[in-house]
Amino acid sequence: MKKSIYSLSIIAMIIAPFIGDFVINYANIFNEFSQDYMVFWDLRLPRVFLAFFCGAVLSLSGLVFQTIFKNALITPYTLGVASGSTLFTALFIIFLPSYVYVLGGFLGAFFTILLLFFISNRINKNSILAQTNSFLLVGIALSFFYSACLMLLFTVSNFEENYSIVRYTLGSLDIVGFNYVFPVAVVSLLLLRFVYAYKHEITLMLTSNENAFLKGVEVKKVNFILLLAVSFCVGVCISFTGPIGFIGLVVPHIVKIIYKKSAYKLFWPVFFFGGVFLVVCDFISRNLIESSTLPIGVVTAFIGAPFFIYLIVRRSYK
Amino acid sequence: MLHVNNYSSSILHDISLDITQNTIILGANGSGKSTLAKVIVGIIPNNNVQIMGKTHEQLSAKEKIQYINYIPSKLEVFDEYMSVQEFLELSFIQTPTHTVKELAKLFGLSSLLEHNCQTLSSGESQLLLMASSLAHNAAITILDEPTSNLDQKKTKRVFDILNSHNYLKHKIVITHDLNFAFKLGFDIVFIKKGKIAFHGSSGEFFEPITMEKFFGKSVKIVENFVVSNL
Repeated sequence: MKKSIYSLSIIAMIIAPFIGDFVINYANIFNEFSQDYMVFWDLRLPRVFLAFFCGAVLSLSGLVFQTIFKNALITPYTLGVASGSTLFTALFIIFLPSYVYVLGGFLGAFFTILLLFFISNRINKNSILAQTNSFLLVGIALSFFYSACLMLLFTVSNFEENYSIVRYTLGSLDIVGFNYVFPVAVVSLLLLRFVYAYKHEITLMLTSNENAFLKGVEVKKVNFILLLAVSFCVGVCISFTGPIGFIGLVVPHIVKIIYKKSAYKLFWPVFFFGGVFLVVCDFISRNLIESSTLPIGVVTAFIGAPFFIYLIVRRSYK
Repeated sequence: MLHVNNYSSSILHDISLDITQNTIILGANGSGKSTLAKVIVGIIPNNNVQIMGKTHEQLSAKEKIQYINYIPSKLEVFDEYMSVQEFLELSFIQTPTHTVKELAKLFGLSSLLEHNCQTLSSGESQLLLMASSLAHNAAITILDEPTSNLDQKKTKRVFDILNSHNYLKHKIVITHDLNFAFKLGFDIVFIKKGKIAFHGSSGEFFEPITMEKFFGKSVKIVENFVVSNL
């Protein structure tokens, strides 16, 4: 079963760059001066790579966050990271020259995590173990606060700016060339390496924070390092693609259901299938409607939301 | 071995303790027994506890796990697919004195090794925690109500292990099973409303006068068993 899923995934990834709105004439694919060459090498291929690495980062970060917070429903997005990056991007779009707005998404994500950590540290002064629930509540409160700020920005900005902001919140994988792919690829591989470096700590934290502490893990410190590293990587991805929701939530759960293994054995599958999931979603978004591309956030949420509800229903029957 | 110097919080008041040998902590529900255990192992941060002459700040992470371990009364495992075998493997902190298989056999868990921790019954979970304490094998092990969910036979097995010198070096057992405490014969620390009401030998504690002072007329020693009149 696993083998067939693997092979199907690889086939899907190989096919993905070849099929799209523009029908490529494969005879010209190595002819540098043809349009086919440009579409394939500058548009399609970078797009597939970007989708893969972003999806991988988002789903692995979901797995790590779920471990840290001991809550199966948490992703960097539920903690306000996405709304933080949207708000900052909106601010940049309105008040700064357009070319720096990539920075906005990154700063927003990073700022949010630091703020969350600062607040939760004040709450957890008297315990060696972080009270993760308070962290979550603060995160949710923050996202509402950010949305309110965003509404405020909408009322003071003009139509063109409004459109740019809305377009950003839907997420997009539209890129030209490999320039944007490299930072995301590097960041995703670093994240994978990093998570493996902390495998022992993460494994112990999969039991309980108390048990991890008793086995010598400095839980608070490790939590902070993991959160910071993961948020950094997510921030980089978001700044290029906009917030693409639901992957971090859905993919770790699908992989767990297929593999039926403890999460510390699933770093690579979650990383890989996260990438595949976004490649496939992007494939659908490009090909479902002729002559137009659906926003990627729409497709992931279209698949993600019903599945999420299914999971919750299934959990309650246990 | 273990020293608590004048610790106070909202639950515990003026706790000073010097523990040098196997000890039982007795007390009613909510008297602060588990809180005291958490203070001692450092889950509740403090500077009042000294283990082998060092405070929690002075202990390195490596020293800490070699010196002290705490076994909670309930097993907590977040990951739904973590197996009994994996949990036990995680409990070893140094070269193991027993293998996973030996430990599982000792507690009758052999057939459950492949099962997920979350599917265990409360009794099985407690036995798994007991097995993990032997795997960890710290210099001092604090066991929080290790028999609260066990049937007679399993309680006896845990009793025999705690009573033997072959397993676990120093033991601090939290319980409110008076007969269990009586039979083990360890030193007794009795906690009442967050204060230490008694600290002394088992013999002194189970004197009829002391017993009546703490439990009224409801508890008696009959034919070498502690029985309580319901």
